[in-house]
Amino acid sequence: MKRDFFRKVGFGIAPGESVPTDPLAWAQAQMDTVPDLSWKGDIPTGEALMDHYAHWVYTDRKVLRKKHKKDRKAYKAAKEQLRYKTGERFFENLELAIRHDAALNSGAPVFERLWFFWANHFAITDKDFMPEFTTGAYHRDVLRQHMTGSFVDLTKAATTSWAMIHNLDNSESIGPNSENGRRRRERGKVATVNENHARELMELHTVSPAAGYTQDDVIALSYVMAGWEHKHTKKRQECNPVHFNQRNHQPGTHTVLGKQYKQRGLNSSNKLLDAIEDLCAHPDCRRFIALKLCRHFICDQPTDAMMQPIILAWEDSDGDLPTVHKALLQVAWDYTGIEQKFQNPEVWFLQMVNMAGMAWPPSPKTMTYTFKNKPRRDQRKPESMLRELGLLPYRPPQPNGFSDMSSDWLSPELLIRRLAFSSESGTRISANLDFDALIDSNFDNADEIKAYLSPFTTRFGRAETLFPSYWMLMA
Amino acid sequence: MTITRREFIAGVGSITLLASPVFNVRAAGLQKRNLVIIMLRGGMDGLTAVPPRDKRLNSARPDILVKKTQKLTSDFDLHPSLETFHELWKAGQAGVVHATNIPYTKRSHFEGQNLMESGGHVPYGESTGWLGRGLEAAELGGLAISLPMPLLLRGKVVQDNFYPTHMSMPHKPELMTIAGSYPEGSALRKAMEKVISRPKSMMQQSNSNDAADLADTAATELARADGPRVAVFDLDGFDTHAAQGGDDGAHGEKLSDYDEIINRLRDGLGDAFDNTLILTLTEFGRKLDQNGGYGTEHGYGTAIMMAGGLVKQAIHADWPGLKSKELFEGQDLNATIDARAVYCSAMAACFDVDFAYMRKHTFWDEPLPDLTDALFKV
Repeated sequence: MKRDFFRKVGFGIAPGESVPTDPLAWAQAQMDTVPDLSWKGDIPTGEALMDHYAHWVYTDRKVLRKKHKKDRKAYKAAKEQLRYKTGERFFENLELAIRHDAALNSGAPVFERLWFFWANHFAITDKDFMPEFTTGAYHRDVLRQHMTGSFVDLTKAATTSWAMIHNLDNSESIGPNSENGRRRRERGKVATVNENHARELMELHTVSPAAGYTQDDVIALSYVMAGWEHKHTKKRQECNPVHFNQRNHQPGTHTVLGKQYKQRGLNSSNKLLDAIEDLCAHPDCRRFIALKLCRHFICDQPTDAMMQPIILAWEDSDGDLPTVHKALLQVAWDYTGIEQKFQNPEVWFLQMVNMAGMAWPPSPKTMTYTFKNKPRRDQRKPESMLRELGLLPYRPPQPNGFSDMSSDWLSPELLIRRLAFSSESGTRISANLDFDALIDSNFDNADEIKAYLSPFTTRFGRAETLFPSYWMLMA
Repeated sequence: MTITRREFIAGVGSITLLASPVFNVRAAGLQKRNLVIIMLRGGMDGLTAVPPRDKRLNSARPDILVKKTQKLTSDFDLHPSLETFHELWKAGQAGVVHATNIPYTKRSHFEGQNLMESGGHVPYGESTGWLGRGLEAAELGGLAISLPMPLLLRGKVVQDNFYPTHMSMPHKPELMTIAGSYPEGSALRKAMEKVISRPKSMMQQSNSNDAADLADTAATELARADGPRVAVFDLDGFDTHAAQGGDDGAHGEKLSDYDEIINRLRDGLGDAFDNTLILTLTEFGRKLDQNGGYGTEHGYGTAIMMAGGLVKQAIHADWPGLKSKELFEGQDLNATIDARAVYCSAMAACFDVDFAYMRKHTFWDEPLPDLTDALFKV
């Protein structure tokens, strides 16, 4: 039995949970449907969160700054009240609770690990007030809902989402020869495309630099994308839905990686969708995704032998994600016990919590917010805790998301965090926790680990030494 | 505008040719010298931080022009956010290398940042950083002021890092047991050995992770005679595709964060500031022309800001000009100085080792000119 597999692709086995007899089949069966979120409390809609965001930015930028422009102190105080009223300090914590509850309780932990993966692949960086309000909803509504379809549909959804369009500045992009571009230039203003989104669509989301695209390809794809934007209005600032604005679109036929894109139908919005089809069908795209999947779940430097079955599954199914995911799980199963991956801080934390049966996340009752005062310390626990661990999932600093390379998670300070959390966990686990059973369900080298723990007789000593041990950090 | 080719450019060729292998001999009795690298992620715009006096800049950037500049020379000004830097300049403790960059021209942040830290030519081709290799060659220790370990400081030897926490750790016997589970020689084991041997000053519990407060900690560690020789800071947010601003705005705010770090380091280091070199590092500059969103796109050439008692007051540039035929790919300030020559010279100066020795061990003996005498007071 390969028990390490439960941590390699999931969050380990919880106390009292029966160990699946066919782990691979158990994991693969989770790929076909999107499980319901298990969170029993309020789950705000993306639209409601966008309204809160709009209220926050409009009131801050357009009302408070003017009203208190001569009194910094009064401005700060008014802004603090606005934070509470709009949930600016709260929603990220709620989203983290929803995310962690799904990991621990949705009944499909392997699906949740893949959800984490795709949320990081189509990363939204820590920009404006996105982590505070909207990134969690984007993960839930845009990415999660597309995980049982094809990669191309997931990419189209992510690329045209408000979150990505705003995060990568595509609303700032104006085709120089577009209707608005020409008008701007006549008035002596600048009109150019913004290359940011086009570049990342190729580099990070689909074909990767291995495809050998040039600066001309980046500019051509920026032309293709120009016009996909959200309006900036006085009342809602950037918080308006994405639409295609033909008047900012660069007219004509554009060539990206040797393929031509031209208008079909009444406007040019098809060009981007056509380009995404071709990018996703490009051989370097499936190779890149296979590499990233293997790097996340199997080892830092995946071999061709690991990637090939995933690439073949992609080719046979036209990038059908459940098929691709199942191929990945087969490879992960085959390499369990052969290759071990250093677990990132969030996954490691959830494994510890799950295997030891600790109370996490805070309950729906705790996470009930009144919008009147600063969120309580227990309501802010998810964010403060993940910040301490070094991985805030809604705040990757850059659009390439968090790294999957072990060396990026290995430093004396990051190790100190694992040690400190393990040390603290002793106070949070049940006095009756059966460590032997925990070890038997979750590790293939149970005897070795039991011998290692034998000098420690209290739950404090055992938790403190088991959780930062080599076998727990690796899977 | 008349910026001439600086004399040192002509001189360096001969120095390079004269250099012969010299071993790692450190002058006895020399005071400890500190090297601080501040990584400015996202593409720091040298034309905003240190704008040249050139009318072409005005016409290329009508909406994001820096106006309330501070004067550096007859050819270059300084962004108003860089107040500490300007004070240091006036005191003869700051300098600039302009129109410089690492040899990377493809405009990807991630490839560019990987190369600025690794010092190589192939993105993701190296698993160590130039500063990590340099410390190893000089047998010295460094300290990163961040939670993860930046590639820049990685080498065969695991360097230390610092980031405050309020949490407490297991006791030493438990730490020894845990370390015993990590394979001998593994990176995990080496990191644990660093943790176990930490000085008390780095074990105090604290909560603030404000960049400026972190600078205080770095200053305390660097000022210790047996402390690290090197500190590395990480600042992001320089990728201003939109709302870059001129005097105010996103780029200016980030420059002001940088300025506050050098301000705190100056105060915290005290006398040790005289033996300190603080250099910036970024993946590329930004295009000359502003874009439609009052921002700028990814470019090429940029500036390195240098502060500290070991810096000579000067702007070093082999200025390429801003006429369209002088621009890189017709769009960007060109880079005429390989930034790695500056970093290699800085390491040679701060670590008391010969330039050629350092170049061999950190940059594969590539033909980088020795700028030590031109840039630094050593």
